[in-house]
Amino acid sequence: MKKYLPALVCGFGAGVLQIVPFLKSFSCCMIMPLAAFFAIMLNQRATKSREKIPMKKALLLGLFTGLFAATFGSILEILITLITKHNDIISTFPELQRMIEGFPVSQEIKTEVLKLFQSVRDDILKNGFSILYTFSILINNFVVNTIFGMVGGLIGAQIINSKISNSSNNF
Amino acid sequence: MRFTYKLILFFLLLIWCVGIFIEWFIKFDERLLFLLPNLQKAYSLVCHQDKSKLILFNHVATLTCARCTGIYLGLLLMSLILLFNEPKRKLAIKLLFVSALPMLCDVLLYSMNIYSYSKPIAFSTGFLLGSVGFLYLYAGLKKLIQEL
Repeated sequence: MKKYLPALVCGFGAGVLQIVPFLKSFSCCMIMPLAAFFAIMLNQRATKSREKIPMKKALLLGLFTGLFAATFGSILEILITLITKHNDIISTFPELQRMIEGFPVSQEIKTEVLKLFQSVRDDILKNGFSILYTFSILINNFVVNTIFGMVGGLIGAQIINSKISNSSNNF
Repeated sequence: MRFTYKLILFFLLLIWCVGIFIEWFIKFDERLLFLLPNLQKAYSLVCHQDKSKLILFNHVATLTCARCTGIYLGLLLMSLILLFNEPKRKLAIKLLFVSALPMLCDVLLYSMNIYSYSKPIAFSTGFLLGSVGFLYLYAGLKKLIQEL
């Protein structure tokens, strides 16, 4: 468990930050890659290692950071929706309706799509929970966060390995 | 790196980029409309999706802001170039930081209201970071394959 602690800590932070709208406008797509980078740095400090990080280890740390971020992010989002009976689907539904009406597609398809999201909206307003919404959150979070975590791990490892190379050359 | 791996990487990036432009493709297949809200949610994890910063064309918009769109298109273009070429030299990590500098300066300067947000500037600074960033991702993947 100890070896996953850096990934857990950074993944938790990333999962929480992804939900805060204000912070998202500054960090954009960098939250997960930076979280993976910090996980690798924390791991190096915890193990007091001065060796270069193998890419396999960096990839795994990035993957676990992404998994933890997805888990915590999903739990938080589902819980907040359950308690408040409100989320971005509810608040953006009128806009979604206007947007879908504006597309050059058949009225039948527009009605089907709106009916589907109306049912999600109604479930959330009534029960604070929707199976389709929950499923969508889980799939999106787990796919996107793990991929971005692994990418962050691979690039972050090169940054750290480059620093290790430079400091050993200086000696 | 073997051509097959490079091709897989290119197609994964292509799928990601096609998703950003899904609103354009809806007119070719109206069933894609079912995917739109879900894709918006997926891309919301990696982009703030501020309406004023999306790239608009003919009343449809990208699912990510101009900067993020630039980053992903930069990644895609470089992956296409590296399909048929191989980097000749080992990259200094400084290049990654230098390529991120214009983007960081842009974010800083418009946050300080030195100038107002410009989609072409955001796109081009993101494109620069994306294309250079791919070289490091590629180098990392190459080392990973050698280790396995």
